[in-house]
Amino acid sequence: MAKKKAKKPTPAQQARKAKLTAKDKKTLNALVGMADGVFKQASRGRAPYLEVPSRSLSNVKYSPTKKIIEMGSSKNKRELFNLSQARTYMQTLLVGRGCKELIEQGKTTSIRGLYYLLKHTIEGTREETFNDQGDCDPVIEDVEVTLNALREELHVYASNRGAMVGNIQLIDSGDEIDCSRMGSGGYAIPSIVEEEVMQFVKCDADFILHVEKDTVWRRFNEDKFWKEHNCILTHGNGQPPRGVRRLLSRMHNELGLPIYCLLDNDPWGYYIYSVIKQGSINLAYESRRMAIPGAKFIGLRSRDYELCELNPSVTIKLSDNDIKRANQIAKYPWFEKKKRWQAEIKKMLTNGFKLEVEALISKDISYVTQEYVPERLAQGSFLD
Amino acid sequence: MAANQRSISVSEFFAKNRHLLGFDNPRKALLTTVKEAVDNSLDACEEAGIAPEIWVSISQTEPDRYQVSIQDNGPGILKKQIPLIFGKLLYGSKFHRLRMSRGQQGIGISAAGMYGMLTTGKPVKIVSKLSIRKPAHYYELQIDTKTNNPQILNNRGDGLDIPAGEKGRAIMEKKKIAWEAFYPVPEVETSTSDDEQAESETEAREAPAPVEVRSGTRVTLEIEAKYQRGRGSVDEYLEMTAIANPHVTLHYTDPEGTLHTYSRSTDQLPPEAKEIKPHPYGVELGRLVTMLKELKEGTITQFLTSSFSRVSPAVARRICETADVSTRSSVKKISRDEADKIYKAIQQTKIKAPSTDCIAPIGEELLLKGLHQVVPGEFYVAATRPPSVYRGNPFQIECALAYGGQNAAQKVSIELLERLIEETDARTLRQFLMSTFDGLGSDSADKIMKAGEFGSRQSPSKLKQAEIERLHDSMKNVNVSDGQAMQVLRYANRVPLQFKMRDCAITQTVMKMNWRSYGLSQSRGNLPSGPVRIMVHVASVWVPFTSESKEAIAHYDEIQKEIRLGLQTVGRKLGMFLRRRQQVKKEGERRNVFVRYLGEVAQAVSDLNGCAKEEIYNHLTRVAKRVTKEADTKLDDRGNKISPEDYGDNVLIINDDPEGDLTEQLDKTTPQKKLF
Repeated sequence: MAKKKAKKPTPAQQARKAKLTAKDKKTLNALVGMADGVFKQASRGRAPYLEVPSRSLSNVKYSPTKKIIEMGSSKNKRELFNLSQARTYMQTLLVGRGCKELIEQGKTTSIRGLYYLLKHTIEGTREETFNDQGDCDPVIEDVEVTLNALREELHVYASNRGAMVGNIQLIDSGDEIDCSRMGSGGYAIPSIVEEEVMQFVKCDADFILHVEKDTVWRRFNEDKFWKEHNCILTHGNGQPPRGVRRLLSRMHNELGLPIYCLLDNDPWGYYIYSVIKQGSINLAYESRRMAIPGAKFIGLRSRDYELCELNPSVTIKLSDNDIKRANQIAKYPWFEKKKRWQAEIKKMLTNGFKLEVEALISKDISYVTQEYVPERLAQGSFLD
Repeated sequence: MAANQRSISVSEFFAKNRHLLGFDNPRKALLTTVKEAVDNSLDACEEAGIAPEIWVSISQTEPDRYQVSIQDNGPGILKKQIPLIFGKLLYGSKFHRLRMSRGQQGIGISAAGMYGMLTTGKPVKIVSKLSIRKPAHYYELQIDTKTNNPQILNNRGDGLDIPAGEKGRAIMEKKKIAWEAFYPVPEVETSTSDDEQAESETEAREAPAPVEVRSGTRVTLEIEAKYQRGRGSVDEYLEMTAIANPHVTLHYTDPEGTLHTYSRSTDQLPPEAKEIKPHPYGVELGRLVTMLKELKEGTITQFLTSSFSRVSPAVARRICETADVSTRSSVKKISRDEADKIYKAIQQTKIKAPSTDCIAPIGEELLLKGLHQVVPGEFYVAATRPPSVYRGNPFQIECALAYGGQNAAQKVSIELLERLIEETDARTLRQFLMSTFDGLGSDSADKIMKAGEFGSRQSPSKLKQAEIERLHDSMKNVNVSDGQAMQVLRYANRVPLQFKMRDCAITQTVMKMNWRSYGLSQSRGNLPSGPVRIMVHVASVWVPFTSESKEAIAHYDEIQKEIRLGLQTVGRKLGMFLRRRQQVKKEGERRNVFVRYLGEVAQAVSDLNGCAKEEIYNHLTRVAKRVTKEADTKLDDRGNKISPEDYGDNVLIINDDPEGDLTEQLDKTTPQKKLF
């Protein structure tokens, strides 16, 4: 066992030492455990390795009962003495070290901040520990799954993306926020929305409308759609980040709000819906906290081209890549058994084009807020 | 018309067709002269069992005229034979016998004499000494081209006898007859010019007593010639000779007066080659008829068994049966028709291959020594094939290969480069680079030109001093080993072949081989590239040349096959070496990667769980050592462990570990010179 030789902390370090919560202690223990493992292996003359759960399609399972994507049990060995893994091995330990530092000081940083914290030239060489942030991000996710700790538990967050307005009041880091009084910009959804940080105070809304991107969200906000229909309006700026997904999930589960998604009619839009509903392949280990099996898909549907009598000039031809991706999505187990979805994807492929939500503006600037969505809400015509 | 027809003397014929003998241009004439004389000297020394010591000296007498002297320490020549050997074409001891020797026809040296006579009018001067006590003979000779007979010029056609000892040396000095009377004292640079020799004689009393040259022959010719270094030069010839003849010491004084010495690396003379009778398979019909006529009496059986090798009475009987000729019929009564039948019967009868002890190969060990002595490199390998037979003539192939080392272009000094540029007749700089430096391909020449910022059509003769310096710099800095073509050193009976490279069976075979599988790059139908020198030696009682000038070996399937097998043997070992080197390099990189990250890992672990950084670092280093050591033992295709000894015999490696500094990071072993 490693000798726990208490390293003498410098005065500055001591001063910076923050009070640790129970969660922090648990994470710290996991981090120390990882290092202990390396020491144990090395002191016995064995080549040290880490077991990192695999984050690929082959290691995710769709659970038909829970209706979410769950991570399987297969693990990849990450070895120090393997030419192709040595560097990542070193990086994994570095990320662990960085997180420990953050936790001990009671601070959080963005993934970019962590990248800068750990980036330096390896002694005696001209090699950098991390070349760019793309080098670092997957390693952070690896540490999350390896330690079975969430990102916020490691005191790391992603940049804010996504906004919310509507009839809801909440407390974020001690500040009370009324989301019905957020002006045109809305409330920026932070990356960490866990119970410790955010508490719901009061909610009068009936449902949540999630739209794909900022431009559409603004249309709805300007038309005060949320006031008229008494709902919460969110967007995730494309693929919604974890903060947005977690908040949606919390509001859905804790406040019992149904969620409707208004996304583009293209493979990308389908997949955004899939991620919100079942969770993503890459972050399958987070599905339990984030997936919303009850989410519904309002549109745009492939048939809307005819239903709404759209002008042919607003269509965008499907690229080869789109077709490939659509076929891939159709084969995902969580879409495979849904006949209506198969029909939907097939229809898009036979159409040979995709439609963006903005295409509806060609009918009338407020067509989407005044006719399209209200009609479908009234009819209850959704894809599940 | 009929009145104009008369017989042509051999000498006349060759006087008009001198290119057939290798005197096509002044530069080649110089080489051929040196070559013929040195070859004869070596043959003579070896036959007499003397370790050859050869002095070659070239000096310029007039523009386009050079005096060439070659002396050996051989047995010397009998007085009455001297004029015939040096003054009569086609006179010699080697033509009529089947035995491995350098010279064959007996044309060479007398042709050189004739060439000298034709171009400068100067006679051939010969000094020959039979033993330490007997007088030496001095002749000045000319050939009568009409009658092919020698004419002695000095002393009213009698030649001069020079007594032995001091007295004789005094006479020689007085008459300006050059002669190397003593072996050079080792370590002391000896000059060969006449006046300094007297000094060395006086000094000799204090210094270790010089050994007097007991016997030998010195031939001096003055010929129209051109001296130029580079490919196909005298310098190259002597270097190549030194490689293939590790038992020879060569002292070479070039026209600038610089002495080059190639010392012998062994005292062991090549075993004396035995003379053999012709093998029946190698005899043509015409020759068979002549042989039958030469034999005055006896039966056909007696003729067959006595004139040929490997023909026993049983074999003779079988031949006769097939030819439908009585075994007891007299030789005299054999008709032309019957001779033809016998000839055909010989081809149909199974006869044992000729004995091969008439060939004296250099041997793998001496090949390595010779190559290592002269050619710088990292890896040497040699292979001697078992003897084989073509058309009834036994022959043997030897291959050796040297890998690595610097190219000649990178070793050249600025002074030498200046002289080379002065001497060259190449029109463009590019041509100059390619023709002067061996193994420098067009790609490398272009790279050098580019690096030195020279124009593509720049003439080498117009270069200024600063430009020469720039050229020298770029030659040094450009990595020419990439585009460098393999250099092929060709030998026939230890004699270097320097011309007609493309026509030669050796080059053709090298080019047809697939060298890519041995780790060299090669474009189809070309010589492979890389810092490689390959040496191929064809030893035979009768080497088949494509022409009389003996510059290229004829394409016999049997010979090409043996060459291919020999090349494959050395190629395989080269491939092994290159792969191993690659492996070592890879392992080095591997270790390096681990070593690089160990520090970071140790730091992170120590920060995480508070253990001592040194402790975890030491643990990790120990594991790293073990892990990479395990990775060192590689398995071959069959799953056996490949160990370094697998190179087999006859491999010489100078530096096995190009990345020595990397392995040193883990274990402080220094690369060693290994000699298997």
